[in-house]
Amino acid sequence: MDFDMGEEVATLRTELRRLVRDHVPADYLGAFTDDPADLEVAQSFCRTLAADDQLCPAWPARFGGRDASPWEQTAVREEMWAAHEPRGAQYMGVNWVGPTIMRHGTAAQQERHLPPIANGEVIWCQGFSEPDAGSDLASLQTAARPDGEGWRITGQKIWTSYATMAQWCFLLARTSREERKQQGLTIFLVPMDDPAIEVRPIPCMMGPHHLNEVFFDDLRVGSDAVLGEVGGGWQVVQEVLAFERVGIARYARCERLLQWAPVALGEAWGSLAEDLRGRWARMEVHARRARLLAYRVVGLQHEGQVRPADSASYRIAVTTLDQDSAAVLAEIAEHAPDTDEGRRFRRAVEDHWRYSVSATVASGSIEMQRILMARSLLATR
Amino acid sequence: MITELSPEATELGQHARRALEAAGGDTLVERAEADPARRAELVEPVLAPLGAWELDVRAGADELEAAAALCRSAGWWATPYPVAERLAAPIGTGVAGLVVVADDHPRAALAGMGGTWRTVALDGGTHDATAGTDPRPARKTGFVVPLELDGSADPASPEDIALGLVLPCCTLLGMLDRAIEATCAYAGDREQFGQPLSRFQGVQFQLTEAEVERAGLEVLAAYALWSIEAGRPEVVEDALALRVAALDAARIAFRVAHQVHGAIGFCDETPLSWLSRHSEPIRRLPHGPAGTLASLTDHLGRRGLAGLFTGEEARR
Repeated sequence: MDFDMGEEVATLRTELRRLVRDHVPADYLGAFTDDPADLEVAQSFCRTLAADDQLCPAWPARFGGRDASPWEQTAVREEMWAAHEPRGAQYMGVNWVGPTIMRHGTAAQQERHLPPIANGEVIWCQGFSEPDAGSDLASLQTAARPDGEGWRITGQKIWTSYATMAQWCFLLARTSREERKQQGLTIFLVPMDDPAIEVRPIPCMMGPHHLNEVFFDDLRVGSDAVLGEVGGGWQVVQEVLAFERVGIARYARCERLLQWAPVALGEAWGSLAEDLRGRWARMEVHARRARLLAYRVVGLQHEGQVRPADSASYRIAVTTLDQDSAAVLAEIAEHAPDTDEGRRFRRAVEDHWRYSVSATVASGSIEMQRILMARSLLATR
Repeated sequence: MITELSPEATELGQHARRALEAAGGDTLVERAEADPARRAELVEPVLAPLGAWELDVRAGADELEAAAALCRSAGWWATPYPVAERLAAPIGTGVAGLVVVADDHPRAALAGMGGTWRTVALDGGTHDATAGTDPRPARKTGFVVPLELDGSADPASPEDIALGLVLPCCTLLGMLDRAIEATCAYAGDREQFGQPLSRFQGVQFQLTEAEVERAGLEVLAAYALWSIEAGRPEVVEDALALRVAALDAARIAFRVAHQVHGAIGFCDETPLSWLSRHSEPIRRLPHGPAGTLASLTDHLGRRGLAGLFTGEEARR
């Protein structure tokens, strides 16, 4: 066995930490706050990363990347999430929108969309969920009907993150009614500045920009907006989920906050209840466990293997870690001193707690993961 | 990055599992309970042809991973022999095995085992010891007896303590492998309300809860073994972290296994009954969940586990 990622990854981490230290304020808690300056930090940081060849290192060189190893990609994911994701909304473009366009896009679509993502200049949103299609995504009703050489799209999406700021939407719509609901779905790449699109923010506990409703009122798009085959959208969605199989490195932020806790508390750490320090130690173990489960999935993916139960184990372990660690840290943070660092720690923990509430719902509910895992466990029965 | 045992170690583990099955499988522990003095004769000749007793776990990664695979296979059958403890023995000292013990009232599952055993406490203190006796039947004790300490030996190295903690966790992992496998099989066979238990989502979700714990234990065991192989300074903390997770995993997995099996799970005609009660000595000794967590917390102090960030790096 070998759990050492090697010198190359260590060097990359050092560089990423330098970039964060030099370009992201110490009290930064993500792009999506009431302060527009935080959003500008993210936009600017993406351009900085792009200039340093660190925005999409895992992309092939011909699309603007540098063919980095999956472990470098993992390190980027960890360092960014630990630093409250200073790439803002652009992580989606890098992680899965771009790679999906590489696989399914026409040459014209690749030329149009990939350079802006690689240069850190564009924000995408994902138009999947609908009021009556959440975990049961294939039940979606947003319809695209043929209109001459193009299409007209009408319907509603919901829980759409970053829709107020996105320039493009990766939209899943129904183009025909078939025997199975997974058939007849198509992906469209849609410009968000069209007047036929209305975005209505939904206030929520994580702060602004996370949740929106998006209405498409007879939106006209050309045939060049279709990604892949008409009616082949469900297969593309499965690939999107495969790119996201490891997803956000939630364990990295948990690990950072857990490690920060004794430092931030200073002398107060010694007077914490023994039980609370024990719960902190258990969370340290759970954070390591989630990280190692992620590494196993990354390693298997790299070898071309997919074991659904492994991916599901990881997703369940990391999302429950997020919530359990937030509860422990919130209790610890109450003992943080009223110093600059103590206050920064408390704010970071509060932010972590708010995000953690959504962890078992966002990007696919934990119940779906359990269903997938049970199917795999019981497959031969 | 390699997160799993070597193919050679895995293959050895498979051979060991088959060999133990051929030697009696689930009946081995029944026979040993009836006469604990037969434990050695029941198991030693089965694993000897595989080279088990020549392994030197301190000699390098290959032999340590082979030992871990053997322990896991021994756990699968609740093998009534201290395989992990024997494999952890320091070579050339003449002791039969190495056992991590609590400071006070040292006990171990060594009923019927002869020879001199090396005990190690978490503070590194060591003794040579022999297995005492317990008048109660092994069916009640799980082979646990008091140890009679003969005299102190040289202080143990962190590597010794880690080996003494990690290899039994590999045995426990094998027990969880089997308990979950048996429970999935039972859920597929047993019908209620006109359908197999496995069709009920309430049952499915319990199984996934157990499997997440088992999978987590598996990767943490791999990490703790690597920590020993690599001679990391945090080797004892890594071993304690593994044990904390192992005890949680065992509690959850056996709870689920018993719940899904229902009354049949308490009966000796199911392997679960044997696995469950023979997992207890590993789970209770040298310290149970609370004591193990307290030891880990003490070891971590303000540092935390080694990982992505030190405390200083975490504050940016």
